[in-house]
Amino acid sequence: MKISFKMNGKDVSLDLDPSMRFIDVVRDVLHLNGTKEGCGEGSCGACVVLMDGKSVNSCLLPVANAIGHEFVTIEGLKETKAFDVIQKAFAEMGGSQCGFCTPGMIIAAYSLLKENAHPTEEEIRAKMSGNLCRCTGYQAIVEAVLRASEKGEGLW
Amino acid sequence: MERYKTSTPKVDFLPKVRGEAKFTDDISFPDMLFATTLRSTISRGKIKDIKIPTLPKDYYWFSAKDLKGENVVNIIFSDWPVFADGRVNFIGESIGIFVGPDKEVLHKLCEDTVVTYEEEKPIYDFSESYIHKAFTKGDYEKAKKEAVRVIKETFETGYQEQAYLENQGIIAYFDENDKLTLTGSMQCPFYIKRAVMRSCALKDDEVRVIQPAVGGAFGGKEHYPSMIGSQVACAALALHRPVKMCFERFEDMTYSTKRHPSRSEYEALIGKNNEILGLKIRVKLNGGAYRGCSGVVLSRALIASANVYVIENLDVTGDVYMTNTTPTAAFRGFGSPQTIFAMEMFIHHVAKELGIDPLELQYKHLAKKGDVTTNSGHFHDDIILKELMDKAMDMSDYKRKVKEYAKPGCNKGIGMSVFLHGCGFTGSGESEIINGKVKLIKDENDHVYCYASSVDMGQGNKTTLKKIVAKNLGIPDEQCTFDNPDTDHIPDSGPTAASRTIIIVGFLFEKCAKHLKEIWKPGVRQEYVETYVGPEYIHWDENTMQGDAYPGYAWGVNIVEVEFDPITYQVSVLNTWSTYDVGRVVDERIAVGQADGGLVQGLGYGYLETMKCENGRFKNRNLSDYIIPTFEDAPHMETAFIDNPFPYGADGAKGMGELTLVGAAPAVCLAIESAIGKNLQKIPANPEYLMEVMKHEN
Amino acid sequence: MVEKFIPKTKAEALDILSKHDCYILAGGTDLMVAKKNIAGYLPKFDKDVLYVANIDELKGIYKDDKGIHVLSGTTMDEVEKSPLVPSLLKKAISEVASTNIRHFATLVGNIANASPAGDTIIVDVILDAELKLESKDGIRYVKAEDFVQGVRKIDRKPNELITEIIFPEVNYDKEMWLKVGSRKADSISKVMVAGIYKISGKSLENFALTVGSVSIKPVRSHDIEEELKGMSLDELKKHKVAIVEEYAKLIKPIDDQRSTAEYRLTVAKNIIGKFLDEIIEGGK
Repeated sequence: MKISFKMNGKDVSLDLDPSMRFIDVVRDVLHLNGTKEGCGEGSCGACVVLMDGKSVNSCLLPVANAIGHEFVTIEGLKETKAFDVIQKAFAEMGGSQCGFCTPGMIIAAYSLLKENAHPTEEEIRAKMSGNLCRCTGYQAIVEAVLRASEKGEGLW
Repeated sequence: MERYKTSTPKVDFLPKVRGEAKFTDDISFPDMLFATTLRSTISRGKIKDIKIPTLPKDYYWFSAKDLKGENVVNIIFSDWPVFADGRVNFIGESIGIFVGPDKEVLHKLCEDTVVTYEEEKPIYDFSESYIHKAFTKGDYEKAKKEAVRVIKETFETGYQEQAYLENQGIIAYFDENDKLTLTGSMQCPFYIKRAVMRSCALKDDEVRVIQPAVGGAFGGKEHYPSMIGSQVACAALALHRPVKMCFERFEDMTYSTKRHPSRSEYEALIGKNNEILGLKIRVKLNGGAYRGCSGVVLSRALIASANVYVIENLDVTGDVYMTNTTPTAAFRGFGSPQTIFAMEMFIHHVAKELGIDPLELQYKHLAKKGDVTTNSGHFHDDIILKELMDKAMDMSDYKRKVKEYAKPGCNKGIGMSVFLHGCGFTGSGESEIINGKVKLIKDENDHVYCYASSVDMGQGNKTTLKKIVAKNLGIPDEQCTFDNPDTDHIPDSGPTAASRTIIIVGFLFEKCAKHLKEIWKPGVRQEYVETYVGPEYIHWDENTMQGDAYPGYAWGVNIVEVEFDPITYQVSVLNTWSTYDVGRVVDERIAVGQADGGLVQGLGYGYLETMKCENGRFKNRNLSDYIIPTFEDAPHMETAFIDNPFPYGADGAKGMGELTLVGAAPAVCLAIESAIGKNLQKIPANPEYLMEVMKHEN
Repeated sequence: MVEKFIPKTKAEALDILSKHDCYILAGGTDLMVAKKNIAGYLPKFDKDVLYVANIDELKGIYKDDKGIHVLSGTTMDEVEKSPLVPSLLKKAISEVASTNIRHFATLVGNIANASPAGDTIIVDVILDAELKLESKDGIRYVKAEDFVQGVRKIDRKPNELITEIIFPEVNYDKEMWLKVGSRKADSISKVMVAGIYKISGKSLENFALTVGSVSIKPVRSHDIEEELKGMSLDELKKHKVAIVEEYAKLIKPIDDQRSTAEYRLTVAKNIIGKFLDEIIEGGK
């Protein structure tokens, strides 16, 4: 079936089985490997991508549901000014150790800031709780998002 | 305003944050095949027959008979077969692998294979010991005669799953010179190399191992990759094609190695001045079906069994028990979280029994420089434990809170744990067994390349080791490079484990850099290799377990504040305050990261993470059933380091990779005790257990 | 060969359902887990699949005299942010899985999946919500309480599509929601309780309670609720223990990898007791 959506600003039209997991479209068909699979069942958040500006677990999204929507993966986000602010904040606070959860964290952080440009620590923890990290203990990431929100006025 | 003014930007940060870093499952090769494992469905028995289905074209089956070398995974104790041969000893044991181009076909081949077993009665309890260790100090029986009281208690700890975000995976392929090469999620490139050499009968120059980006390990990738590496190597060699095996979460969680569950019996002899005259300690660890590294885990557990306390008379024994379950292996702490939990809880309970302030009892026995250790060695270096405790108590307003939270009706609690961690391999292992080497090469442009086998799995050693080199050469950090280890180019500096990377490898690099600086000629290619020579005064007898167990110790204090919900028995961890002596901090941002991450992982071990094993089968098999802390569970953490330079450390630095996990479980349990006014003896102190405790009188 | 349909209109969807017995997939957050295959491979659907997320006429929230209508394709996130939606429902939604999931999972999907641990279902039940089921044969309304019949068993005929969930006006001014998960976020519930009430003078004018994750379907007792309506707060205090015991008889929890039957029962009783205490003290 011909399935069309926007990926990182470009129109994409592919002949795909509609039941295909979006993460498999992203990684295996579009060869965008920045998005990771940590659990395959929506618990860890490593696979999140932006769907119309909101973070969604690509391991659970069927490509049938992608039709007509706009997606951004880390590959698309990384060239933006918004990313640069977030990235610098993560670098400064130590928000990334092994790096496996990091693309998902950045996507989730961006999704959060887009909705709420000045979140409190409590709000960050609540809104990002669907992204698991085993290395950092989360505090550095919270601090990074707070820092990004300070520096990124108007970028979301 | 910069938070970490003296910290160096992490060298691998940008590729990781941009999603460009290549982890194992991001890597593919032309003509690559996949491997899927056929696993035992019973806990114990003989394999009478294996009927594999007819193999379609380009599908293959590999099992024990296809190994050209020895059918063992090369570990400290090599009793784990690469492929089960004739018998199986745990549910999930690898019997063989199907290799082919389509994973769905491979899974169907596994499903359609019929294995006929002759089942045997499995063992799940602590009845069959396959490793026994014991040592004494002083004369426990004599001390018993002087004792005015004897207090006993038993403690239990559960499994813990590493739950790294990146699942296990490994690829075997052929490099540009047609040499068998492995890349995968690993901690120890040379462990994998030697394992493949042994199981595939290859020589040193016939195997190469290259580390890609590694998504967390925590000990879980110390030995396990040697097994799956041997399996894919066997297939790759036979087919002369790349073979990849990457686990999904269910498979990783159900079949890969975990932390040893334990049961520790403590008996204290109390003297007339309320001092502990002696301790009798019996430690039982569940090793699963094969020994592997369990002997060393037991050693560490026993060496740490009296924790930071100097007790004159000790009678310590330990056993690792064979059970027909997935073998247990390395996990951050490596045996010490089990016994440090027990000892910390015990000393507090003993104090309560005696009606004295636990601090009073602890101070009586706190280790000082020169004191005799648990294994009759000596603490050769300055110990600043009391300073660490004072600072932590000050940061947290501990003493006031202890009083306040003791009031009836108050559901808040606060607890403090004090702990140590021996850095490096036990005893003289660093000099005698590992004999680590590092290399520095300076090219014609005066750019320096650092070579060692240390794997950066998130803990930042690519950044810190390079920083040590640059500092000692007096060159800018950017003039130095530390690439991911490739066994073709690196000397073996030892495994990335045992909190040895900074204290040993960092120390090696410091010396190496200093030597290179002495002979430095600008514009000329130069190289220098440094071999580890440890402190001469470290003597250790592995058989009697007597002497200096470690070249150096790191020390820590964790204070945890909780709130208990008496309706749901749930615990909220509100705040933590920690102080650490790691000699010197090489990079503050990285050190705080290790402190935070270790603590949260240790808290999970203490009150949240439950891994049930029933009849040889793990019941928590994915990240929605095995509960690790989320953003909302993790507390606000404050950390402080106090310098205490170690003479054999790079600029005085010791190790901290494991230290920051080992004290969290007793700290959170002591906090819960403070909230509920009852004693705990088991972790995880999950709500189901706390409900039992609240319902019954101890 | 499993067929996959992606209708653009409700009429199309109903037409397909009149001819095919399908899994109806809205957000997919339950079905994609239940039917998960190996990574890189299509989910293991053993019958046809109807994807309804692309039907715009199934999205939205509106209010009329019947109550508040949440169309079946509306995401949990959209429901949580709507000013029209009862706060009790928002509380339940805010604890479902994670933000990531709530961005594309649907409220109706949660009850359609009918997992005993479905967080929003006990709120649907306590608020007397009704599901609107449409087919080529017509329209049928089923109360949420009757809709869930067992574990993953619902009162939906193969040709029916849930198009709305409707929340009528209910007489209460105080609410209680407590989900006991295995951790503070991103967790499946072990026990959950929802309660609503209204005090008039010194007696209970209205009262309702539902308990989830403790039986094959949400636990609600109209008998007990009728008993309590009109009861004075003093009387309630005298009968509190007995009332908790009555609820305990209806709770049949199990042991599983997440928790134990004893824990679920004990905690459910504790929560109900605490809720009754709150009412007895005149409400907060």
